[in-house]
Amino acid sequence: MTEPRRGGLGLWRRGRRVWRPREGLLVLPALVFYILVYLYPLTRLLAWSFFDPGPTLKFYGALLAEPAYLKALSNTLEISVAATVLSLVLGYPLAYLMATSGARARSLLMALILIPFWTSILVRSFAWIVILGNNGIVNRTLLSLGLVSRPAKLLFDMTGVQIGMVHVLLPFMVFPLYGVMSRIDPNLLRVARSLGAPPRRAFAKVFLPLSLPGVAAGCVLVFLLAIGFYVTPALLGGAGEITLATMIDMMVNTLLNWGFAATLGVVLLAVVGVIFVLFSRLLGLHRLTAVGEEGAR
Amino acid sequence: MTRMKRRTFLKTAGAAAGLAATGPFFHVRPARADKGELVVVSWGGDYDQALRDLVFPAFEKATGYTVKLDAPPETAKVKAMVQSGNVSWDVIMTDIPAVLTLVKDNLLEPLDYGALDKAKLDRIPKELQRSHALGQRIYSFNIVYNTNSYPAGKAPRSWADVWNGAAFPGGRTFNFQGGIEPQLEVALLADGVPIDKLYPIDVERAWKMYDKLRPLVSKWYTSHAQAIQLLGAGEAAVGCTIGPRGIAAKHGGAPIGVEYNQGKLASDNWCIVKGARNKKIAMEYINFAIDPKAQAAIAKRVPYGPSNGGAYEFLSAAEAADLNTSPQNIKEQFWQNVEWWSTPGPDGKTPRETQAERFATWMLKG
Repeated sequence: MTEPRRGGLGLWRRGRRVWRPREGLLVLPALVFYILVYLYPLTRLLAWSFFDPGPTLKFYGALLAEPAYLKALSNTLEISVAATVLSLVLGYPLAYLMATSGARARSLLMALILIPFWTSILVRSFAWIVILGNNGIVNRTLLSLGLVSRPAKLLFDMTGVQIGMVHVLLPFMVFPLYGVMSRIDPNLLRVARSLGAPPRRAFAKVFLPLSLPGVAAGCVLVFLLAIGFYVTPALLGGAGEITLATMIDMMVNTLLNWGFAATLGVVLLAVVGVIFVLFSRLLGLHRLTAVGEEGAR
Repeated sequence: MTRMKRRTFLKTAGAAAGLAATGPFFHVRPARADKGELVVVSWGGDYDQALRDLVFPAFEKATGYTVKLDAPPETAKVKAMVQSGNVSWDVIMTDIPAVLTLVKDNLLEPLDYGALDKAKLDRIPKELQRSHALGQRIYSFNIVYNTNSYPAGKAPRSWADVWNGAAFPGGRTFNFQGGIEPQLEVALLADGVPIDKLYPIDVERAWKMYDKLRPLVSKWYTSHAQAIQLLGAGEAAVGCTIGPRGIAAKHGGAPIGVEYNQGKLASDNWCIVKGARNKKIAMEYINFAIDPKAQAAIAKRVPYGPSNGGAYEFLSAAEAADLNTSPQNIKEQFWQNVEWWSTPGPDGKTPRETQAERFATWMLKG
């Protein structure tokens, strides 16, 4: 702890010597690739929203004139926030269990999380329709147990969307959490206990704060993935779960109104950017880039 | 139609779909048409296999060209291809809404009808012979229902029945997204408008009927495959989707019935992509595809209506009963009036665009 690292960009922060031009060349292929297949198309996409074919702001005008698009945006944010919170609530205890249990139990849990992770998202979404439908396993069990008199509505509304999305997103929450938690020195908890803290207090005062970088990383990851989700809300949601991604698809493929699609894309990008900046202000960007090292201290 | 299948290709991409279609940096597939090869692009599945088995061999034998099949002919891909000046597709099969969008953006070649057999053209309805598109297979929006949801003989027989939730209980499923316009004609039929007085569409009256439909719908489907799945599983009791798909599911053993009464007929059509390398040979291929005997053979395998009426001379009465263009079924239905949907209004937008946007905003305001 003699040299605290305050920022993720240690390359420069720790002094000029770290940045050696010849080694810098090593990132060149990645940089070129990134510019060619990401930055360049993205810039063109941004440009589309301002031209038709001459410079225009009409797409943004149309966006503001129609409240339905803002509704799609608020749907998107609502779904993403809910999925993030649910993933955290379900993922935190799971990651805790993984970090604190023995090697065998840990690899079993890991396998259980990874197996669905490797299955196509489309297949998983369709599988939920079979499971959650009126004649699905869940409803038939509920009906035969007499818990409900008619099939419960689990599909084609927010419930279905959240079940489907959290199922897909949970690994993205669990792995950053586990990464941080597994590096927390168990002796710190023992010290807290030996100094008289009851288990709950030791957890709240020692473990929880140390695990926060994982929480931040997991939440940002899950939220950013959730905001671009297309398949799951489209398949498992109803009219109330129409997202911005759905609208973009419609503009690109049905109406061929790419200018407006680009505009919606810019809005989505801007929202993501603002949220990312807020998160990094609140929690520190370095926590997201240096998850492991933070936890180690 | 078959929009759902096309859709699934892009679904995985989510918001990135926009990026994926960006300009000349994404050449979709190396399906380049070299000399001696004709690239035909269709929607995949059973129909493509039927083309491969029943149309391509005769064409290849007669011309010496080989056919390469690609899928799917997304309009966005055609646009990207033509704009980048690297056209690797020759012939595509697509529906009229897509044709109209493509023609509007000048992405299709006009067809040379002089290169087609007159005897064949004479048996194809005039509304299927357009300057840039020639009808091949006929699909239709029909009343499709789950046979377990209604006692035999008590299934909905008209759109008014479908709108009548009290007499015909059970969830409805109607399309939303997937490039399919709102079913305004069907809504008007449900409100009692005569089948020959649908156009010009009384839009406000139709949307009032959609307001009445909304509470009955258990799921707005995004693809016809999904609609058939929902109806077969009983998640929805009745809906408006592609009748031939319902027939195919019925043949596969699903508890699904199709009512052709008051159906809306539409076509998938052969088109030639702007700047295609093999225009002449493409016309020759189309001439083989509209052959009545070939179309009858295809219809036996995949239950879409053949566009060539001559095909029914090669089909049994039982086979014809399940096809939407058979003499007895076709007279209960109406052709979608594409001109109405494609004529721009005072704001320069076609009703198709305006109504699609209205559909999206209507859905979000619900």
